[in-house]
Amino acid sequence: MTELFWTVFSSAFFVTVIRTSTPLLLATLGGLISDLAGALNVALEGMMLISCLTAVIVSVYSPWYVGVLAGILAGALLGAVIALFHLRLKADIILVGFAINILAAGGTVFALSLATGGDKGTSVNLASKAVPSVDLSFLAAVPGVGQTLSDLLSGHSILSWLTALLVFVIWYVLYHTPRGLWLRGVGEYPAAAAAAGIPVRKVLLWSLVASGALAGLGGAQLAMFNYIGFTTDMTAGRGFIALGAVLLGARHPVGGMFAALLFGFFEALSIVIPNMFQFIPAELINSIPFIVTILALFLFSCRALSLKKVRAAQ
Amino acid sequence: MNVGTQSRMAAIYTETSRVLFALLIALSLAFVVILIISEDPGAAIKALLKGPLSSTRTVGLWIDEAAKLTMAGLAFALVFQARQFSMGAQGQVLIGGFFAGAVALSPLGATWVGMPLAVLAAMITGAAYGFIPGYAKAKLGANEIVSSLMLNYIALNAVSYFVKAFYAPRGELKSAQFPPTSSFPALIPNTRIDLGLIIAVLSVIGVWFALYRTSWGLKLRLVGHNPQFARYSGIKANFIMVSAMTTSGAIAGLLGAMIVQGKAFGNLAVAFEGYLSFEGILIAIVARNHPIAVPFVAFFYGYLRQGAALMGIRTDVPTEVVAVVQAIIILLAASSFSVPGKKLVRKLFNRSETNGSKIASEGQQK
Repeated sequence: MTELFWTVFSSAFFVTVIRTSTPLLLATLGGLISDLAGALNVALEGMMLISCLTAVIVSVYSPWYVGVLAGILAGALLGAVIALFHLRLKADIILVGFAINILAAGGTVFALSLATGGDKGTSVNLASKAVPSVDLSFLAAVPGVGQTLSDLLSGHSILSWLTALLVFVIWYVLYHTPRGLWLRGVGEYPAAAAAAGIPVRKVLLWSLVASGALAGLGGAQLAMFNYIGFTTDMTAGRGFIALGAVLLGARHPVGGMFAALLFGFFEALSIVIPNMFQFIPAELINSIPFIVTILALFLFSCRALSLKKVRAAQ
Repeated sequence: MNVGTQSRMAAIYTETSRVLFALLIALSLAFVVILIISEDPGAAIKALLKGPLSSTRTVGLWIDEAAKLTMAGLAFALVFQARQFSMGAQGQVLIGGFFAGAVALSPLGATWVGMPLAVLAAMITGAAYGFIPGYAKAKLGANEIVSSLMLNYIALNAVSYFVKAFYAPRGELKSAQFPPTSSFPALIPNTRIDLGLIIAVLSVIGVWFALYRTSWGLKLRLVGHNPQFARYSGIKANFIMVSAMTTSGAIAGLLGAMIVQGKAFGNLAVAFEGYLSFEGILIAIVARNHPIAVPFVAFFYGYLRQGAALMGIRTDVPTEVVAVVQAIIILLAASSFSVPGKKLVRKLFNRSETNGSKIASEGQQK
């Protein structure tokens, strides 16, 4: 147990937490934007999965950043597809989202087997590239805390830093720009937004595209940093956990960040535990993120509900 | 024919033509993909379209799959009718199937009570697993989509662990065969068509009766159509919601029993569910959540799935190409569009317009 304690408080574990949290946080931000605009994006999982494969395949033939861009583009495109069917063809957004998830689950296996020449499991025989990590070891020169600082801040993916920046940017756009107000207005009460002259459908379209782009970026991080390469169903429910993180984060970017970090922490735990306690079954460890998500969801919903009641009573 | 029947016939006519149109688009796209990637597209398309009819065995596979798809479709149709997006069928099937297997492998399984008891255990545990997201939504306001999906993953891991730890011999992924008293007998020898088919038919009738001939069903459909109106008219929406999810869980649990006790398995295996449950979404949507339409959709869709599986085995085209077909069918079936070219067709056949289409067009105006 003490061993686990020291691992959790090591800087290497911190780096792992950031690594596992980044794709989750990106998907959470994506889910947040569409959720605030009033469109629950259940397709985050499928968008991430398709972006993973797109990023991997494109990065075989081009520099890593083109692979990342391709992942973003794939996600954004899927967002546009959802918008097309939801807004123009009046389909229920949850059903459209699940259609995307089903397409992703089978379609990625299909595309993978075409790209690898028959392998339906992994892309090991494709030489895909990785997102570089940022080396800040020069910080060690800082007197006193230098070594710790360098250990904590080095080795993160460029995309992790970008994600931290994105949390701030999204917070700013949502709460301090007119466009952000539009988006939240559409989500709050579309009829009022429409009456105020806000182009509701356009706002929804772009929020879904942004949502997809963020999920796509998360997919790229997952397949080009967390793991190098694609494996079947590699998102393993992260898109759905992100939906939980949106709710747990009280539908706020900073809250979402903490929720994603919490889930990332437990995912990181599930990475280090098997090496220490071999007697714990892998299935239990694999379930940790899901058990934590559902418990957090129940507890948080319970609190939110009682707060609502208190407010109603006043 | 009275007006009600006429308009109903018209609705069936428009729905069917819409679905056929969606299927046509989806299949043509699949054919284009096959033409591009296959060395021998003719053989692949032949396997896809005619494969399931190639032998008694494959026909059996098809009918067995249709029965299971029917159950999955019913489970989703029931919650969708109440406009609850509980996606927990997968977990409920796994839990139900596991407990059915546990009963079948217990000493009780070797006695005559084995089969009914296993089925009952599956229904109860499936219902309990469906109850959780419903209750959490009613009491805590927890989003049922997220919680039911999390429960799926938990069930996947838990069942896999318990099967490996307690039932499968070391290093294997499945248990010993169930005693004959606990496995479903085959209706037609040497095929997979077993008691499950009868269960599926009875379930269709049962769900139809519950939804359209009981006050509970009326309330459930009201809650689904217009929750506010339902609340104002004094319907306990929360009770309906929870009971819909619980009943759907029982159906999914029953499907679990059908899978493990049927001819396909007859044992407790890791991941026996094989992602079949999620196909229920497509079936429920295409059937417009109507229980009577569910088996017909399952019948056709089961054929498509079997064809795709045989294509994957016999030719160089991977089975997963069918994912494209699935997604397009869901997208088109869920969206509102009218079949294009209808006016054109009517113009072409103007002179010989049949009575049937007249009724259909009149019914539409009503």
